[in-house]
Amino acid sequence: MNYFPDEVLEHVFDFISSHKDRNSVSLVCKSWYKIERFSRQRVFIGNCYSISPDRLIARFPGLKSLTLKGKPHFADFNLVPHDWGGFLDPWIRALAKSRIGLEELRLKRMVVSDESLELLSKSFLNFKSLVLVSCEGFTTDGIAAIAANCRFLRELDLQENEVDDHRGHWLSCFPESCTSLVSLNFACLKGEINLGALERLVVRSPNLKSLRLNRAVPLDTLQKILMRAPQVVDLGTGSYVHDPSSEVYNKLKSAFQRCKSIRSLSGFLEVAPRCMSAIYPICTNLTFLNLSYAPGLHGNELTKLIQHCRKLQRLWILDCIGDKGLGVVASTCKELQELRVFPSDPYGAGNAAVTEEGLVLISAGCTKLNSLLYFCQQMTNAALITVAKNCPNFIRFRLCILDPIKPDAVTNQPLDEGFGAIVQSCKGLKRLSLSGLLTDQVFLYIGMYAEQLEMLSIAFAGDSDKGMLYVLNGCKKLRKLEIRDCPFGNAALLEDVGKYETMRSLWMSSCEVTLGGCKTLAEKMPSLSVEIINDTDQMEFSLDDRQKVEKMYLYRTLVGHREDAPEFVWIL
Amino acid sequence: MGRATSSSSSSIESSNHFAFSNTGASSSSQRDLSTDLRLGLSISTSPSYGREQQSDWPPIKPLLGQALAEDENECNSATFFVKVYMEGIPIGRKLDLLAHESYYDLIKTLEQMFNANIIWAEAEVDADHYEKYHVLTYEDKEGDWMMVGDVPWEMFLSAVRRLKITKC
Repeated sequence: MNYFPDEVLEHVFDFISSHKDRNSVSLVCKSWYKIERFSRQRVFIGNCYSISPDRLIARFPGLKSLTLKGKPHFADFNLVPHDWGGFLDPWIRALAKSRIGLEELRLKRMVVSDESLELLSKSFLNFKSLVLVSCEGFTTDGIAAIAANCRFLRELDLQENEVDDHRGHWLSCFPESCTSLVSLNFACLKGEINLGALERLVVRSPNLKSLRLNRAVPLDTLQKILMRAPQVVDLGTGSYVHDPSSEVYNKLKSAFQRCKSIRSLSGFLEVAPRCMSAIYPICTNLTFLNLSYAPGLHGNELTKLIQHCRKLQRLWILDCIGDKGLGVVASTCKELQELRVFPSDPYGAGNAAVTEEGLVLISAGCTKLNSLLYFCQQMTNAALITVAKNCPNFIRFRLCILDPIKPDAVTNQPLDEGFGAIVQSCKGLKRLSLSGLLTDQVFLYIGMYAEQLEMLSIAFAGDSDKGMLYVLNGCKKLRKLEIRDCPFGNAALLEDVGKYETMRSLWMSSCEVTLGGCKTLAEKMPSLSVEIINDTDQMEFSLDDRQKVEKMYLYRTLVGHREDAPEFVWIL
Repeated sequence: MGRATSSSSSSIESSNHFAFSNTGASSSSQRDLSTDLRLGLSISTSPSYGREQQSDWPPIKPLLGQALAEDENECNSATFFVKVYMEGIPIGRKLDLLAHESYYDLIKTLEQMFNANIIWAEAEVDADHYEKYHVLTYEDKEGDWMMVGDVPWEMFLSAVRRLKITKC
């Protein structure tokens, strides 16, 4: 297979950046495997327990950028206990001991300690980029270490982490010599920060393109920052509260007018009414707008704002926009590709403001739509069928009806036909979340039509094992399956055990699988790790095989059972 | 077999014991709940999924849930106190209008506060005994005294400055 010298092949491989493609390349032959592994710089590990740090380091000595994911997706919704696992520490320690010149680390749902952050900051001279998404276990002291020690830091991006905020001083830890910042996002921090230090940092960072502030940053600081950083492309405001007739507000208006590069806007963590007109000048060029943390913004003020945003491609909003407001979006935002509508009153008694009507309006007006997350009060089959016809390009379709087993609001039928239409029409669908009253029939459709489906989330659906079997047998590209509160049991789980080796993971909670079933699976498939998670107050795991299992999480792994499992996790 | 009960996975304490308890007893109550589920009887939109911080439905991230709950609490703690005078009594009272949801609510509170029968725009009156009643009026932004109850509640809230209860 070697018609070219290694250097030529290496050069060719340089053009191959997608992880999937590089993985395929490495399987062609031994020689290609060798060349590929020495030239690989970016590695993506979707489940940190599928491989060990040592094997990673051994295979990819040229590693520069590592992405690691820890807890399963349902951990986002409090279904996984905090100390389940996903610890960063062993990875950092192993990497620090090696000769790896790590430059970029991206983590999702991992447990990160201050010690790990400090070790990270001191071990890699060229470290440039830290992105933490939905992580926990660290405080602002760990962030301070990163700021103080990473001399060439370009990116510090903290997205929706649970951080213990020790208030303020971490920002002052960026040395005066640090002028390389391109991206700084600390919106999720809850504490006060040193505003003067922030302003000085912005002033000495001429390459700053992305800046997302937290709630503690008031409007007048925002105005000062914008005056010094008009080149910003992605802005997250902090607290957006001020008297609209004040001098500061006027200054803010002129500051926004100078910011001709802003394409992405978020924040508004506190909003005062009648202050939004200041941002109208930026709206014309916006491609991403995130108002999901601004419940104070609704009604006319919100729709007037939207009407200025003709180039919007991604919109994240709360359902207080209402069906009518979605109609305004539909007629204004013709370039829209991604829409997320979150519930503004998630625990309230049915005050949700969007229904199937809003979704239908969107589908009719925004034909480029390919990604949807929609929390709504109700849905109908007719609406879903219309949406499927209008928008055949969906890659991600996630629907959440707040009452999870609600039938078609008009006909009282299950929503099988509606979702069936979606999977049949959207031939490129990769991710799907179902809700509403659903029988086994919807799974028959999914198994039949959802050929590209990679991730499926199911809750309170189906009648029998057949449902789960339709999916396992039909969806050849399925990688992640997560199920809660469905009547799927051992028969479905055990029918095709080899299937799980082709997938990253399977989550089942509050279903009908028993301990015996899980044990059988674990016995037959040693390449899988089958975890039983018991986070009730019960101290002991019952030994009765007929017991139903509350939470089961299984995943394929090359390194056997993990050794860091807490007491309440039993690996079969 | 029947749909698994919704409550078994939520944070509501009482249901967690389903996980490893005696299958006999728990599965029958599980089935009862699932029948209720099908009939939509015990499932209302969300109280059963818990208002606690550790709720697992709807599937939104905790940070967003916290941010929205905080904002709701801020709204709920808003108050709007107005003065209320009863004709013939020099010392007035104060009343939080935002603690009430409607005119009916308001009248009930006032009747208790002043121990009187109070008429407003929609009251049913015993025509022979007008002298028993008091009339509820309010001063609006323009300084005019109007009978309470003619305009929608929200509109009333934005216009009212104080209340007066006068004899018929």
